Amino acid sequence: MTHSDADATASPFEFLSRVLGQAWRDLLSVYYANTPIWRLLKSVGLLFFGFFCWSASNLVLSYGIDWTILRYIRSYGFVLLLWGPLTHAVVVPLVIRLRRSAESPILRTIARQGSKINLSIFLAIVLILGTFPVGPMTLDFQTTLQGGSGSDVNPDLLCTRSDGEIHCHLSESEGIDHVVVTSGDREVERVDDPPFEFTIREDELEEVVGQQEFVVELQDEDGDTIRRYRRYASSIPNK
Amino acid sequence: MAHKLDVLGLFDNEYRDDGFRTCSVTGLEVHRSVDNHVKLFGLTAVVALLYGGIFAFTVAMTRWEVIGLLGADAFYTHLSLHAWNLLIFWMVFMEVAILYVGGPMVLGRRLPLTRIAKAGWAVMVGGAVLVNYAIWTTEAPNEAPLLTAYVPMPISPLFYAGACVFILGTVVAALPFFVSMWREKRENPGKTLPLVSFAAFVTSIIAVEALVGGLLAFGPALLWRLELIQWWDAAWYRQMYWIIGHGTQQINLVAMIAVWYFLTHVVAGAEVVSEKVSRTAFILYLFFINLGAAHHLLSDPAVSTGWRIWNTSYAFYGATFASLIHAFAIPAGIEAGRRKRGKGGGLFGWLTSAPWSNPVFSSTIFSIILFGFLGGITGVMMGQLQLNMTWHNTFATVGHFHGTVVLGTTVAFMGLAFFVIRTMFMRQYVSERLASIQPFFYSAAMGVAVLMMMYVGILYGIPRRTSEVVENIPGTEFSLSAASPLFAIFGIFALLAIVGGVLFVLVAVGSLVFGDRVENGDNADLIADGGLGMAQDPDDPVHAYEMRGTFVLCLIFLAAFVITYLLNWYLLTQLWSIGA
Repeated sequence: MTHSDADATASPFEFLSRVLGQAWRDLLSVYYANTPIWRLLKSVGLLFFGFFCWSASNLVLSYGIDWTILRYIRSYGFVLLLWGPLTHAVVVPLVIRLRRSAESPILRTIARQGSKINLSIFLAIVLILGTFPVGPMTLDFQTTLQGGSGSDVNPDLLCTRSDGEIHCHLSESEGIDHVVVTSGDREVERVDDPPFEFTIREDELEEVVGQQEFVVELQDEDGDTIRRYRRYASSIPNK
Repeated sequence: MAHKLDVLGLFDNEYRDDGFRTCSVTGLEVHRSVDNHVKLFGLTAVVALLYGGIFAFTVAMTRWEVIGLLGADAFYTHLSLHAWNLLIFWMVFMEVAILYVGGPMVLGRRLPLTRIAKAGWAVMVGGAVLVNYAIWTTEAPNEAPLLTAYVPMPISPLFYAGACVFILGTVVAALPFFVSMWREKRENPGKTLPLVSFAAFVTSIIAVEALVGGLLAFGPALLWRLELIQWWDAAWYRQMYWIIGHGTQQINLVAMIAVWYFLTHVVAGAEVVSEKVSRTAFILYLFFINLGAAHHLLSDPAVSTGWRIWNTSYAFYGATFASLIHAFAIPAGIEAGRRKRGKGGGLFGWLTSAPWSNPVFSSTIFSIILFGFLGGITGVMMGQLQLNMTWHNTFATVGHFHGTVVLGTTVAFMGLAFFVIRTMFMRQYVSERLASIQPFFYSAAMGVAVLMMMYVGILYGIPRRTSEVVENIPGTEFSLSAASPLFAIFGIFALLAIVGGVLFVLVAVGSLVFGDRVENGDNADLIADGGLGMAQDPDDPVHAYEMRGTFVLCLIFLAAFVITYLLNWYLLTQLWSIGA
């Protein structure tokens, strides 16, 4: 804002109307700015802004706050993803060019009213999609629990120590195809049948950072690891 | 006379008999010793960028599980190499170069102790090679360290040794900078340092704090791995480690802001709106920014709630306040400086009439905007005790530091590299068009990739540092497959960003090898609007000019900040209804 002497003597109403008038003129000058860098900055800025509106309103909606205004912010953001760049990379430059070169009455009308037509179409699409949302526009951020991927495999590994040997068993065997026990980079035991009990000798275990340790992996039929347990010999209770 | 090893003539400029030359762009007196050492560290940094960038491809293509490039073991090794080469080696080599620019170059001095500088470089390279070798040759029972290398994780002692060597090398390489600052103050006791030198000095102090923290973490861990000591306290290690773990990123931040002040002044004609205010902001960084590292311990035992709240609220806001000061001061400086030259034109004319085709300018501006909106806002949020709960160890954290270290620091350093190619290596870009496009392409692609990282992390709870969660969490009914569409966008834009990174390396290296040599007067296009001669009254005070464009931009930034903040708090309130 430039502050002239007139501001000092203006009534609050005059001052406000001058500020609003200046803001409106600034907005128009930004809207119609047509250099390559302006086109790019406006297009990318609106793309990011649209993305922000779309995702943020989707997020709040998916948590169950069903405010009508959020539905329209969501559709505004979604449409803006395409319409922001379209407006400032295509429509505005085209309208400005037509204002200079249009000769037929139809083209002259488009040149004069192009931006209004474009904004009207944009707002109409926003209102329609806000009222009747389409699939791709709605993201659900609530965690989904899906059936069909097998039950939750999470048994306890229970181990005891005696006479230089370590004996372990699982609290459940469901959903496990086989169990592999490794120490360092060596496989020391593999169990293919339930209930997947095993006994290993302490002197078979490699020392890692000063501790004898072993790793027990529960695997499915494809050899993918379902659960992994790391145990230190020194922390296993004696029988 | 070029050195016999200098086959490409990269270290060969024309100097006067006293070893100095006058830079036609900055007007600074640059000594041969400064030129050559900035080039040495800068080139090494670009090699690290190239090497770490290769792993950006393998890591991103693993996280995009439709491709699923690597298995779990290889993924962790590749992720470690990606982290160390980009987050540490690319950054730190470049930062030493920035210290030499901000110190002796801006002050018009020769670089003292050049042998020490070279020795520092050699030790740093040795440490970097050792760290890379240790990670590559990781085999069971050892694990790849990633960046954190937490005790008591079994990690190769070679890695800890390499990290210590690299840290010591960095301290050695920084010594010539400290000596030149010392001599400057001894010779001119009553004279204030230029703002960029002051910023570099603050950076160096923060760097020393961080490096000492690193030695306190990695040193005992090395002794423990060599079994010279029996045991090391994991909680103590973590607290010491994060002094360097996040401290290095604070060095990146302050160095980046020094680069912002330097490059906006040189290529955009920015003035400093208020020296005192900008310096105060740097002082705030000095006291508070390293305390922000505490947010890494918010989900850990062993530190009290009072300690957490002090460090991540009160203290950290001191650093945030400093960042917000710079966020206004730098664009306002550009606006006032350009209006003074008659380049105003309405609300944003000063910005849009700026030299956008100059990659030095566009890199700097994108760095400012993207660091602020994506890296800065998220950093302040997740560095807070309460909001951290929804961010901690999710992929959104990775999004945050790609917003700061990549979109902020890396993009700014790329701009600096473009500047150094033209003004120190004296080479024209091998392709003006490609050089102009690169910052736009890279920043836009990386911007979207970073947004997606944050989205899948914060909205779906996708964890970080894991190779397979969306397609398959074996043995559970829990599914994250709803995040697949956003991961697809992430994967595509990560690839595009890597293409943008490759483009940078091609343009940079191509310009050095094939670019035409800059002759007298060829760099005139880099000088902002032809210099201050354009201004009607060059001596006008800066506050005689409007800064309303910057004010509006800051209001938009503030609005984004407030809305994002509110949304995150809302998310937090919903946290306890998970699974309900």
